[in-house]
Amino acid sequence: MKKLLLVAAMGLGVFSTQAQSNKIEFEQYKLKNGLNVILHEDHSTPIVAVTVLYHVGSKDENPERTGFAHFFEHLLFEGSENIGRGEYMKLVQSNGGILNANTSFDRTFYFEILPSNQLELGLWLESERMLHAKIDEKGVETQREVVKEEYRQRYENTPYGSFLPTMFEKAFEKHPYQWVPIGSLDHLNAAKIDEFRDFYKKFYIPNNATLSIAGDFDKKQLKKWIDKYFSGIPKGAPIERNKIVEPAKTKEIRAVVEDNVQLPAVMMGYHTPAQDTKDAYAVAMVAQILSQGNSSRMQKSIVDEQQKALAVGAFPFPTEDPGMALMFGITNMGVAIEDLEEAINKEVEKIQNELISEEEFQKLKNQIENDMYSQNSKIEGIAENLANYFVYYGDANLINTEIKRYMEVTREDIMNAAKKYFTKENRVVLHYVPKKADTPKQPDLQEEKK
Amino acid sequence: MKKIVLIILAASFVFSASAQKIDRSKRPTPAAAPEIKLGKTESFTLPNGLKVFVVENHKLPKVSYSLSLDMDPISEGDMAGYIDAAGQLMERGTTNRTKEQLDKEIDFIGATLTSYSTGVYASSLKKHQDKLLTLMTDVLLNADFKQEELDKIKKQTISGIASSKDSPDAIAANARQALVYGKNHPYGEIATEETVEAITLEKCKEYYTTYFKPNVAYLAVVGDVTVEEVKPLVEKYFAAWEKGDVPINKYRTPVAPKETKVAFVHKEGAVQSVINITYPLSLKPGSPDAIKARLMNSILGGGSTARLFMNLREGHGYTYGAYSSLNSDKLVGNFNANAKVRNEVTDSSITQFMVELNRMIDEKVSEEDLQNVKNYITGTFAYSLQDPQTIARFALNIAKYNLPADYYNNYLKNVAAVTVDDIQAMAKKYIKPDNAIILVVGDKAEADKLKGFAASTEVDFYDTYGNDYVEPLKPAPAGVTATTVLDKALESKYGMVPGKKLSKTLKKIKDVTVKMSATIQGQSISVTRYSKAPNKSAMTMNMGPMVIQKQTFNGTTGKTSGMQGSKDLEGDDLEDMKKTSKMFGDLDYKNDGNTYELLGVEMIEGKDAYKIKVTKANGDKSSEWYGVDSGMQLKAMQVKDVGEEAGGSMTITSLYSDYKVVNGINYAHKIKQSFGPQTLDMEVTSIEHNTKLGDDVFEQ
Repeated sequence: MKKLLLVAAMGLGVFSTQAQSNKIEFEQYKLKNGLNVILHEDHSTPIVAVTVLYHVGSKDENPERTGFAHFFEHLLFEGSENIGRGEYMKLVQSNGGILNANTSFDRTFYFEILPSNQLELGLWLESERMLHAKIDEKGVETQREVVKEEYRQRYENTPYGSFLPTMFEKAFEKHPYQWVPIGSLDHLNAAKIDEFRDFYKKFYIPNNATLSIAGDFDKKQLKKWIDKYFSGIPKGAPIERNKIVEPAKTKEIRAVVEDNVQLPAVMMGYHTPAQDTKDAYAVAMVAQILSQGNSSRMQKSIVDEQQKALAVGAFPFPTEDPGMALMFGITNMGVAIEDLEEAINKEVEKIQNELISEEEFQKLKNQIENDMYSQNSKIEGIAENLANYFVYYGDANLINTEIKRYMEVTREDIMNAAKKYFTKENRVVLHYVPKKADTPKQPDLQEEKK
Repeated sequence: MKKIVLIILAASFVFSASAQKIDRSKRPTPAAAPEIKLGKTESFTLPNGLKVFVVENHKLPKVSYSLSLDMDPISEGDMAGYIDAAGQLMERGTTNRTKEQLDKEIDFIGATLTSYSTGVYASSLKKHQDKLLTLMTDVLLNADFKQEELDKIKKQTISGIASSKDSPDAIAANARQALVYGKNHPYGEIATEETVEAITLEKCKEYYTTYFKPNVAYLAVVGDVTVEEVKPLVEKYFAAWEKGDVPINKYRTPVAPKETKVAFVHKEGAVQSVINITYPLSLKPGSPDAIKARLMNSILGGGSTARLFMNLREGHGYTYGAYSSLNSDKLVGNFNANAKVRNEVTDSSITQFMVELNRMIDEKVSEEDLQNVKNYITGTFAYSLQDPQTIARFALNIAKYNLPADYYNNYLKNVAAVTVDDIQAMAKKYIKPDNAIILVVGDKAEADKLKGFAASTEVDFYDTYGNDYVEPLKPAPAGVTATTVLDKALESKYGMVPGKKLSKTLKKIKDVTVKMSATIQGQSISVTRYSKAPNKSAMTMNMGPMVIQKQTFNGTTGKTSGMQGSKDLEGDDLEDMKKTSKMFGDLDYKNDGNTYELLGVEMIEGKDAYKIKVTKANGDKSSEWYGVDSGMQLKAMQVKDVGEEAGGSMTITSLYSDYKVVNGINYAHKIKQSFGPQTLDMEVTSIEHNTKLGDDVFEQ
């Protein structure tokens, strides 16, 4: 026994020194106008990632004007007072850079990755976007059409594509997570140009943004440039966020969705706590037990042994406010959807009723260790993670230490999380079934009476 | 020097006071371009021929081992999908470990291990690499192919095929493959439910034992390791792998179509059309054209500032994205310009695609456009280098495609040297708007508007696997069966329900002579058919006074004669003749030894018709169609075996129309027959009963 302890201790020792050698160093400070700055230096490749995270997502939208944050993801490439229409992308790409942006419930994230000699260009571009982006009828009109196509491509013309919008619409009645970032095309059509301008003024301000830069730069020079381009951007009015609390659930919600699919599928969403809570880590580990790797329980039992599913998955969907953990199963040919749902339920129940073994627990930890390193393989990933950890968890250094939070979770915590959150009354169950011949084109919702 | 000091002063002034005074309209100019250095690759070869590349990268405590085979593609034929199945089977159990044990041991160290048809990939934290290599080489060397696991893979694959049937992207990918390369090329083969069902374990095993040989394999080791560490490890784990001869496979090279065609795949409920403008082309990796052609394509459709994107998305708002790709390949490359657009702008989008393709050919690009794309390619080249796998890939390409050792070191220099004339030359050589397949997956309501894009002015329809499309049958109403259809046909033909009265009437008819005129290949001919009770028949075909073909059957034996001489009927032909020569033999269809099956309702020449499948006792199949309203036969079709040299088989189709009653019997007066590429339009000129035909008519 003593020997075992020693080995364990040594293992721990090895682990911490390794973690030390791969520590991500960064510097963080704030400009007078409230802009947060995070810098990570890495000279191994002559490139630099310039990123800005705006703390605005679909949950900050007016329920009558959903889809705005995502729409701005498009609109803010239209140009500025000094950048012509369509020139933004061209300036980046023709100077050897790549760029993109994404929007979630909680944030909008813009980035450019440039050759390191174009760093100043990246800063100028992002500061133009923050100071005086161009918001006019022409740009709104074009991007409206583009967003409509994105909607068709992603939600309408993709099998099971309406899964997320339907899930969140069913799951939330008060909280703005009830609509997904793409929002409503009708709302976008109805919005006046001034509404777009107001939204910009309210949220795209330095005191709601984090500038995170990683890569090959001279820090002294970089700081001068940051000051030059960003410190003159006026601070905006403080943002008041009205915290809407979704009432606790007491009854399972079920619905059948007819879609252009061949194989029926079951989708489940369980209400889970916000990402920055201890329980969120236990919830993530429940999902991991269920579906990460071929030896995970759902893969092994439902896909491989019982052959009930073509594919299964369970994953946390981390959000700033309490959100959801999602599961799905696509039936194998000839398998009844009820059978698959039952098989998934059984696996969840097992975690609720039996403590997982030490061996399986160790596997989870080993997988997490591997994943934690992997997420930092690219500079743009590091820049994004630093910003994310800072804005939503209040500590950018979690990029180095978050693994401890996982390691603090006990086997009992996992079981308790499974019991507490993965209950029937706490969930939404959707059955995707092949559309009957004569039903209309749009996915049709019908409540199942239970 | 003075100037520099001034700038620093100015900068510090800005720093301390306010930044608002900067002139924002002045765009920053770049500093001197950084030197782009390629990481080093070490390599060595094991005695069994395995070539190993090692790329050191110590950023993360991770390592990956990637093994890949360099072999000719394989034509999988009616078992398409078996190579993939073989690849998947490898990681599903070895002689040392069951699938369950393997999965458990891989997951326990947080590793990734995947086997696929042409390789095995494994990665983990460095501290687990010994275990990782144990598992990887167990999969590579000791896979034990189990039927049970193959059955699971087949079930999964077939379910996967079923689920992707509704994905317009999957449909477009399948159809594109089939149309660009043809189904006889390995690149054009598609795994379907049928081919996956046909896969055998032996075939998978055979593939694994034949092709997984160290002498055709590369192993790329990337990560937190040194070549000194890796060498003994690789020797320890891979030395036992035995070399062997691997077959060489050659294929006919697919070529672009002679003229542009429109291929349409209907997708029920589609809200977008998936457009692909595509064709095969010859462009080998590392060839002198490769870099120039890549630049040309980047200007056309390489990204979100390229012409296609700027036109279709930013200019017109037709789509979320429009792109093109020009892929080089050792065997055969391809071009593809693609976008998903809303239904109603399908035709307008294709117009804009064509405008941009032609503009590339007709106009020189500007120096600025070229410079921009050079910058972009240089930048993304640098970007790709942060991933150490890129360096490994470069080393692999140099080995696989026999490139000069400094190919990638000189890559950016060669990019910089490309001129606007080069770009136009590449466009002329590789952009072929007049030899393209315009493939659209979408709602067929849009198809008509696309006719103008095809040289033939016709839209060709295909099914989801790129086969010629056949309109599906509508189900027949309840209560209708093959028997009710055939009975109704008899009633319509003879004017009464078959029974004693009809038999009595027909008994009075001793012989029938039908005269027809026809044209074949511009020549007019006359055809006369004779029949005599109980079972004699004859047919003569005349061109002017000359008999060109004669066929007789006297009730027992038959003969056919023509320009090529005469021949006695025998075998199936004779048996056929015996049956068809019976006067009014159709009345006795229930006892003729054939089985009749009603398949459904189909449109024939604008009329709804019941389709019946006829299966003869010997297994031969044919089809017959009967009008839903008239009850009369409208069409017949059979496939005849005509011997290898004549193409194997020939489809004979007969269309019947212009029914007229002659002496109480309803005869078709127009018969249009087609066999192979020929058609024969026959018109009945007279039908006579009881002309007292002599028996000599039925002899020759």
